[in-house]
Amino acid sequence: MPFLAVLLSTLREAAQPRRLAVTFFLVFLPAIIGLGWKLIAGAERFDAPEIYNTLAAVLVFGFILTILSVLYGTGALSQEIEGRTIVYLLTRPMPRWQILLAKFAGAWVAITVTVCLSLLLLGVAIFGGKLPSAFFQDLRILPLGALAYAGLFLMVATLLTRPLIFGLFFAFLWESWVPLLPGGFARLSIMAYLRTLAPHLKETAETTGAEEGQQNAVSLLTSFTPTEIPASHAWITLVGIIVATVTLAMVFFSTREYAPREEGG
Amino acid sequence: MSQPAISLHRVSRWYGQIIGLNDVTFDLPPGLTALLGPNGAGKSTLLKLITGQLKPTTGSLSVLGQDPFANPRVARNLGYCPEIDNFYEELTGRQFVRLLGAMHGFVGSELTRRVSDSIEQVGMTDRCDRKLGGYSKGMRQRIKVAQAILHDPQVIVLDEPLNGLDPVGRHEMVDTMQRWAEAGKCVLVSSHVLYEVEQITDRILVIYKGRLLAQGSVEGIRSQIDQHPHHIRLVCDQPRKLASALIGRTSVLSARVLEGLVEVETSQPDAFYNELPALVLEGGFSIERFDSPDNNLEAVFHYLVKS
Repeated sequence: MPFLAVLLSTLREAAQPRRLAVTFFLVFLPAIIGLGWKLIAGAERFDAPEIYNTLAAVLVFGFILTILSVLYGTGALSQEIEGRTIVYLLTRPMPRWQILLAKFAGAWVAITVTVCLSLLLLGVAIFGGKLPSAFFQDLRILPLGALAYAGLFLMVATLLTRPLIFGLFFAFLWESWVPLLPGGFARLSIMAYLRTLAPHLKETAETTGAEEGQQNAVSLLTSFTPTEIPASHAWITLVGIIVATVTLAMVFFSTREYAPREEGG
Repeated sequence: MSQPAISLHRVSRWYGQIIGLNDVTFDLPPGLTALLGPNGAGKSTLLKLITGQLKPTTGSLSVLGQDPFANPRVARNLGYCPEIDNFYEELTGRQFVRLLGAMHGFVGSELTRRVSDSIEQVGMTDRCDRKLGGYSKGMRQRIKVAQAILHDPQVIVLDEPLNGLDPVGRHEMVDTMQRWAEAGKCVLVSSHVLYEVEQITDRILVIYKGRLLAQGSVEGIRSQIDQHPHHIRLVCDQPRKLASALIGRTSVLSARVLEGLVEVETSQPDAFYNELPALVLEGGFSIERFDSPDNNLEAVFHYLVKS
């Protein structure tokens, strides 16, 4: 019951009107772009699988999953710390690791529901009622990605006072460019493993997800050191990332101090 | 002797290069104790150590015989009302207390009963279904206290609980705290307002710049300050004559005549009070009243700070 209370409290915080507005925007964004694309391209020139792959890879996985993971993953804890309501959690008779785990679960539910809804709307917008197998493959991989990102960002929130800055840097610089660096750097990116498990996204990201000029640069970079990650490695690594980050987050949260500063004495 | 509810032994706490608490040692039995000190004295640091939010840099402390840091067993028997005025603003007072009660593991009718009881104890029954965001400072203060007592803890730690309360609210809150103390709980209340503390309890801890300056009763602490003379004011019919009679006595350092009264300075107040009746009878003085401005907490505090 205490676990559930913290989890529901985290979900309630995630559903704050200000956040909800951003979430709604992100949920509908891929579907709106997809419909717009369909409208502009016309029925003959509209390649539904390719457009879906592009939008799923670039928008849903590459943007919405990461940005929501940053917001909800770091926010689950940093919102309590910055809002100084953390004091109420820290003085409850709950082991701190359990509080952290409930926060993680709450963040994961919020990310997964939102991103999956976004993907569902995109799929319906592009394919109508007949959703292809690639869609269901993505739907299976998204919760795993949410676990990995939420674990990482929550761990960062246990360590840094401004985790959002790190989160944004990681999501939009590291995850975008590190996989393109030569020398197998892709293995340092969570997104590379997710794309291994949803391979159509990888192809799309590399071939159609960038502007022409960028595409050439991307092709050039990846052609030097094409990083092929076997699916089994991707699974093991992602599970390892989830277990390691959540465990470390629980250890940090149980041993570090998070008491807010007071005005007085 | 029974185990103290709160025990600190040579506890210091540093924030980088700044010391928040410096070599503090005390034992607190059940009852009502006030923690007195100006803003920035280290009161909140001390309370955060006791409530397990901070770890001491050196020294050791225990609450109900256990290390309180991140310890659910201690938290189960400890209620804490923080000084900060932060809440989940979108909740009502009842929802807020209920949420924190649920985090204590209470469910169903037991949770509902405890929430209602604690809200009633702080006099918020008729206002608890309004959103916290619309509460006055006093109402927020009461709700913070309600969440601290919901689980009927043995140790109750209240950081500036009277802040923002109106006089009636303060009176009610003081009565409530005294009731908890009478029920055998250890209640530790911090305040920087001296007259407030005098109304709450006679047992105080005085803290200043991170150091525990004194502990005990106001009078007991005052008597420890030997290097400071004790002032006694005597309102009488013949102040000049009384002042002459007092000068020269070993217990009297000086005697000044003010408007209709004599102010005596003594380093031996007990000896002075023993000698006073005979002197009054011998001189035929009519003493209307006498008091000591040094017996109030403000004087004690200023003496301690100066020393």
